[in-house]
Amino acid sequence: MHLDIATIERTIAIVGGIVVAIVSAIALKNDWKTPGMDNQVFKIMLGLLALGAVIAILAGVGVLGNFPTKAA
Amino acid sequence: MAVATLPHGAVYDEHEGVDQLYVETRALRLQGFLLFLVSDCVLFSSFIFAYLYMRNSGQGWPPPGINRLDVAFASLNSVILFGSGATMHYALENWKHNNFGKYALFMISTIILGAMFLSGQAYEYTNLYFKEHVSWSGSGIFGASFFTLTGMHGFHVSVGVVYLIILFLQSIHGVYSKDKYFGLTAGTLYWHFVDVIWVVLFSIFYLI
Repeated sequence: MHLDIATIERTIAIVGGIVVAIVSAIALKNDWKTPGMDNQVFKIMLGLLALGAVIAILAGVGVLGNFPTKAA
Repeated sequence: MAVATLPHGAVYDEHEGVDQLYVETRALRLQGFLLFLVSDCVLFSSFIFAYLYMRNSGQGWPPPGINRLDVAFASLNSVILFGSGATMHYALENWKHNNFGKYALFMISTIILGAMFLSGQAYEYTNLYFKEHVSWSGSGIFGASFFTLTGMHGFHVSVGVVYLIILFLQSIHGVYSKDKYFGLTAGTLYWHFVDVIWVVLFSIFYLI
């Protein structure tokens, strides 16, 4: 496996993304039944945060944003 | 004991201190802060839709002569910002549960991660400007929209980092208590907001 800067960045992004996605999902689960307008907003934000982490993981593994280096 | 009637039927009881006032006005302050976030959301949306319109009305994207942005580095920087959102959430949770030690740990982590994200963005800007020769005014719609939107977001993150430092100092000096911490709630909402905006910006500039 060729270990260049991009590979290291992608690996850290994947590992970090998995951690953030799991932590956000757990926080969302714990807060699921809490009442109040602020907590409702927090739930939406946590859901979107988990989505962002999943997107970062997919970008890290090359499923998303996998383009050739040079523009056509 | 002096009792004063406030707007919306709220009552300030001198004997009870400001807590009664806090309880009565908290919902109003929350609504005000959420309206501020909605207005900020409108600001970002207008720039994002303008960018998408211009992007789809021209030739290929990015324009000829400009390389694709570095997805690997942007993914890493994004995870740093998303991680700060998670630590901020746990900072507030620990404050609610009267655990100051963990609150301080998560709050400092959030501030450090926010500063790391800004450093990453500065590194990316430097790289784009000096190596790729992409600039705000000299690279057409691509450079203008990229630097305007990410710069505006970076400005929000910078303000957020200063905001969190002030909140942390206030919490050390006893401004907030277990039952009275609206400032921390507002700070958490603001920080989540900049995280969520980055989900959109990361997707439209780096992934599509």
